[in-house]
Amino acid sequence: MSQIAAAEPWPENATLYQPLKEDQILLSDCASSLAVQAYLRMCGLPVQVVCRVNAEYMSPSGKIPFIHVGNQVVSELGPIVQFTKAKGHSLSEALDDVQRAEMKAYMELVNNMLLTAELYIQWCDDATATEISRPRYSSPYSWPLSSILAYQKQWEVRRKMNAIGWGGKTLEQVYEDVSQCCQALSQRLGTQPYFFNKHPTELDALVFGHLFTILTTRLTSAELAERIKSYSNLLSFCRRIEQTYFEDKHSVLPSFIPSL
Amino acid sequence: MLQTSLDPLPMKGPELGVQADDIEPPEIEQEPKQEVLENKDVVVQRVHIDGLGRTKEDLLTYEIAGVFRAKNLIDVMRKSHEARQKLLRLGIFRKVNVVIDTSRGEDALPNGLDVTFEVTELRRMTGSYNTMVGNNEGSMVLGLKLPNVFGRAEKLTFQFSYGTKETSYGLSFFKPQPGNFERNFSVNVYKVTGQFPWSSLRETDRGVSAEFSFPVWRTSQTLKWEGVWRELSCLARTASFAVRQESGHSLKSSLSHAMVIDTRNSSILPRQGGLLKIHQVSVYISDPHLNLVPTPLTDVLSASLWGGLLLPIGDKPTSIADRFYLGGPTSIRGFSMYSLGPQSEGDYLGGEAYWAGGLHLYTPLPFRPGRGGFGDLFRTHFFLNAGNLCNLNYGEGPQAHLKKLAECIRWSYGLGIVLRLGNIARLELNYCIPMGVQSGDRICDGVQFGAGIRFL
Repeated sequence: MSQIAAAEPWPENATLYQPLKEDQILLSDCASSLAVQAYLRMCGLPVQVVCRVNAEYMSPSGKIPFIHVGNQVVSELGPIVQFTKAKGHSLSEALDDVQRAEMKAYMELVNNMLLTAELYIQWCDDATATEISRPRYSSPYSWPLSSILAYQKQWEVRRKMNAIGWGGKTLEQVYEDVSQCCQALSQRLGTQPYFFNKHPTELDALVFGHLFTILTTRLTSAELAERIKSYSNLLSFCRRIEQTYFEDKHSVLPSFIPSL
Repeated sequence: MLQTSLDPLPMKGPELGVQADDIEPPEIEQEPKQEVLENKDVVVQRVHIDGLGRTKEDLLTYEIAGVFRAKNLIDVMRKSHEARQKLLRLGIFRKVNVVIDTSRGEDALPNGLDVTFEVTELRRMTGSYNTMVGNNEGSMVLGLKLPNVFGRAEKLTFQFSYGTKETSYGLSFFKPQPGNFERNFSVNVYKVTGQFPWSSLRETDRGVSAEFSFPVWRTSQTLKWEGVWRELSCLARTASFAVRQESGHSLKSSLSHAMVIDTRNSSILPRQGGLLKIHQVSVYISDPHLNLVPTPLTDVLSASLWGGLLLPIGDKPTSIADRFYLGGPTSIRGFSMYSLGPQSEGDYLGGEAYWAGGLHLYTPLPFRPGRGGFGDLFRTHFFLNAGNLCNLNYGEGPQAHLKKLAECIRWSYGLGIVLRLGNIARLELNYCIPMGVQSGDRICDGVQFGAGIRFL
C-alpha cells in the first residue's frame, strides 16, 4: 500500500471526515480531529473538512478522524503520519534517533493520559454523560435508536476503562493525572516555541489538538480547563499555533479564551 | 352397525357357496341396498371430538359445525371430510380420523348418526433441525415450535440459524381467529445478518413486525407493520467509498400490504394454476409476480415477470439496503450474483427501478430415467431471461425512465437441469449464454449452479 501511496502526489480534493461539529461531536473526537488538521496544516497539505453523521462508522478502524485521499482511506493520527511520510512529507525528518524516541514517548503519554482522561470524563462521569455526552452522541438519530446507540457507546467505553484500570478512579484522581501530564509537557516545552525547538512536529500537533479543545469546550465543570491554564507556557504554545496555522478564513476554530 | 373410514367401502353381501343359481340373487339384493343408503335421510345427532388434551373446545365447534347440516349419508361423509380438512389445517393435530356410527342411547332416532373425530394432538413442544438453502448460502437451522400454546391454535416458533456466512434468530407468535382461520395475526421479533459480497456490504437487521391477514372474496390480504434497526458496514477494507458512505445505523419503519391469489398446485414446479402477488410497501411498490398457465401433458411452459420501483419521499437519497439487485442463478442466469447495473469500483450498488422476465420450457429428462420415482424430481429446462436495472433521475419524466429501462437490456439463454427439493427449494445446473452485457457487469457464462427458493 505504501508504494502505491508514494506514487501519487497529494491531491487537491483530500477530505477529512468527522461527526457534526455543532451538535454531535464530543470532546475526545474533536481533539483528535483538530490534532490531525493541525498536523496537515503544518505539513502544508490542503484538506477539506466534511462533517458526516456516520463518520464513526465510515472509518475503517471505527475512530475519528479519517482522511480520504485519492482512493485511500486512513484513520487516526499515527497511520496518517505514516501515510504522509510515504508521500514524502514529514515533520520529524530532522530529528535524530534519540529525539524521535523521545517524541514517540511523549505522544504515548498524551494518548494514555489526556485522551483517556477525556474519555473518562465524557462517559464515566455520570453528570457529564447525562447532560452532554449522551444527548450529543444520539442527536442525529430518532428514538429508540438514539437511546440504544448512546447507552451502547457508554457501556463500551466504561468496559474499556475498567480493562485498563481506570474504572476505579475518581474524578479528582483523573484531574490529578491530567495535571501531572501537563506538568511533564510544560517542563519539556520550557521556553521553546515548539517541543523540538524551531520547527513543529507531530507531537506539537497532537498536544495542540488536545489542549486547545479542552480549553475551548464547555463541560459541566471548568476544572479541567483550569488545570491546564495554570501552565502559562502551554497557553502561549496554543495561541502561537492557532495564530500561525489557523488564521485564514477557512479556520473554524472556536474563539480562544485566554484568561490567566 | 355401520362403520366407514374415509373412503366409501362397498357393501359386502352375505357369503354363499358357489352355486350358479345362487349367485345372481345376492347381487340383485345388493344394489337396492346401496341406493337406499345413498338416498336415505339421516340426522346427525351428535358430533364428538375424542382425544383433546389442551385444545379448547370452543375453537373446534366452528370447524365441525358443518357436519350437523348434512341431510343424507353421502352428504355426511362429504361434510365430515371437509371438517377433517379444516381440523388438519389448524396445525394442531397430527392425525384426525372420522368414525360415523348409528346413534345409541335413549334419545336415538332410527335414522340418527353419531360422528366422532378421533384426533391426536401434536406434542407440546417439538424441536427440529434443518439444513436450509437460501440464495447461494447454506445454513443450519435449529427450530423450536410450540403449536397450540394456549389451546386455541396459537403457535410460538423460535428459530436459530447458523450459516456459512452469518447467524440469525427469530421469535414469532401466531394467533388465528377462532372459527375463522384465514383471519389471523402474527408478531415477530428477529435479528438477521446477511453478507453481500457483490457490494462489499454487511447488513444486520434487528426488527419487530406485526402482521394481520384476512380473506376478501377469493384473495388473501395481508397488512404488515415493521420496525427495523438497520446497521450497515463494509465487508472488506477494500470496499468502495460509495459503499463506505452508507455505513452506519438507521431506523426504518414500513407499512406494507400484499394481496395474493394462488391457484397453483405446487409452488416450486407447478403444473397448473397461477399465482398473482401484488405487494406494496409504504415507500415503494414492488414485485408483481405473474406465472402463466402451462400447456398440458408433461411439458410445462412457464413465464414470469418481475418489476420494482423505489421512490423516496422527499429529498433524501435511497439507501443501498433498500435498492433492488439483479443477476445470478436465481434471476438473470449467466450473470454473477447480483452483479448487474450501477457499480463503483467493483461493488454493486443496486438500482431504484428494475424489470426482469423469464420464459421457461420444462420437459422431463430425456429417455426418462427413474420414471415414477427419483427421476420425477428432475426436469430439463430451456430458458430465456431478460431484464434491466438502473437508477432514476427524478428530474426527467416517466418517459425518460421507461426509455432508460428499455435501453441496454441484459438477456441470456441456455438450458439445464432442475432438481426439486421437497416443496421448499430447487437446485439448478445450467449452461448459460449471457448477452447484452454492459461494461461493469460481471458474467458467469458457461456452467452455472444455482440453489434457492425464489427463481425467475
